[in-house]
Amino acid sequence: MACTIFLTVIDCDIHPQIGDVEEFLGYVEPAQREWFRAQGASLGIPGYSWVHPSSWFRADIEQNGKPPASDVETVRRELLDPSGTQVGVLNGDDAVLVSLMPSPYRAAELAKAHNEWLRERWLAEETRLRASILCPAQDPQAAATEIRRMAEDERFVQVLLCGGADRPYGEPRYLPIFEAAAECGLPVAIHSGGEGMGIAAPPGGAGPVTFYIEWHTLGSACSTMSHLVSLLCHGTFERLPGLKVLLIEGGIAWLPGILWRLDTNWRALRSDTPWLERKPSEVAREHVRFSTQPLEHTDGKDETLFEMLEAAGAPDNLCFASDYPHWDFDDPGFMLKRLPEAWRDKVLHDNAAELYGERLGLARA
Amino acid sequence: MSWEDVGSVADLEREGRVIARIGGREVGVVAVNGELRGVRNRCPHHGGPLCLGTVRERLAGEPGRYAFGNANVLRCPWHGWEFDPATGQCLDEESMRVAVYPAKAEGGRILVDI
Repeated sequence: MACTIFLTVIDCDIHPQIGDVEEFLGYVEPAQREWFRAQGASLGIPGYSWVHPSSWFRADIEQNGKPPASDVETVRRELLDPSGTQVGVLNGDDAVLVSLMPSPYRAAELAKAHNEWLRERWLAEETRLRASILCPAQDPQAAATEIRRMAEDERFVQVLLCGGADRPYGEPRYLPIFEAAAECGLPVAIHSGGEGMGIAAPPGGAGPVTFYIEWHTLGSACSTMSHLVSLLCHGTFERLPGLKVLLIEGGIAWLPGILWRLDTNWRALRSDTPWLERKPSEVAREHVRFSTQPLEHTDGKDETLFEMLEAAGAPDNLCFASDYPHWDFDDPGFMLKRLPEAWRDKVLHDNAAELYGERLGLARA
Repeated sequence: MSWEDVGSVADLEREGRVIARIGGREVGVVAVNGELRGVRNRCPHHGGPLCLGTVRERLAGEPGRYAFGNANVLRCPWHGWEFDPATGQCLDEESMRVAVYPAKAEGGRILVDI
């Protein structure tokens, strides 16, 4: 368990687990329950070909025979209370991969059920919690409908997509999702994961990898880079000036390099995307935020990392995320010590407060 | 300032530009919609031979749509950076500008005021 610390933290990435599948099925429409029940604990969500060699989860979390973080009380005791979390945003865990299911119809129903499950089983139980709207990205019109439906509940503070996808999210087919989010004043979070699963493209860009360590190193970072570059090149933010995107768990040490590379190419290849009137890095600074977790370890060269990140917009574009209860979780207290002092308030709280805005219901300082 | 001969009108019409070395620097003249533009033949980005680049109408448009933007540019042959041939300003990098000079045709010759 983490030490008690005195922080005011907004945690952008907490993963509730479905501990009781039968209870969850109660949120699925009756005519589809048999199908989902027949899929077992996976609920038909594509499984991982690359699996952590021991466990996806922190081994210290009390489980009581269920997956960790499968009930509000555990999350309260293990995370919210000791870490000084003012607001924690719940992001579906494996459930985020609904967008990679072969059937968009099953995916739409599962997303809807998950949203309702979060509303009744989590948000109603703990006022510090907020949630992300799950939606079936493989059917953007259905996704937009679900976004608009759930946005009426202000405790849902963002739309959630997964890193795994059959094409990068700047593709015009996905536009209805981003339009709906922007219309509702919701940021779109793209959480790494699912690369190479279900209908998603392989991770890494050079064919399927061999090991989990490769997948975890490349898959999440490469999909995040791809979505970032795609959204910028397609002019998504020019189309939707109010849109904000939060990229979660894809790493950040690569960010200056990819933005410098993109800016260089933008100057040289502007006739390819002539609608980009501004440097992509400038647009990214305005519209894109990044979660800190997992903040790369630097072998004592943190100053170099922070200097590089400053060149890419930090600390204004960084938001704290714990990724609780996963094995590569970042403890807020640890992050507090690691970040430059002048960054701490912004990264641990203020940037996320601005990103989510009035939906959080927080009094302005 | 003096008018210097950098080539023939015939060469300009055939090649799309004329280039000459004047006082230790290369200067070229390109025709842009019938106007003659004198430009230093050295891209401020990487030092490429800018006047060997192409004159094109700069593209613009809403996301997903390609349209002409009603402005002509001189595109460097090395990295494709685009410059306003009238002012020398790089249109994609505010800090970059190439020297430009008045140019005219007279008696079948191309002259640049340097």
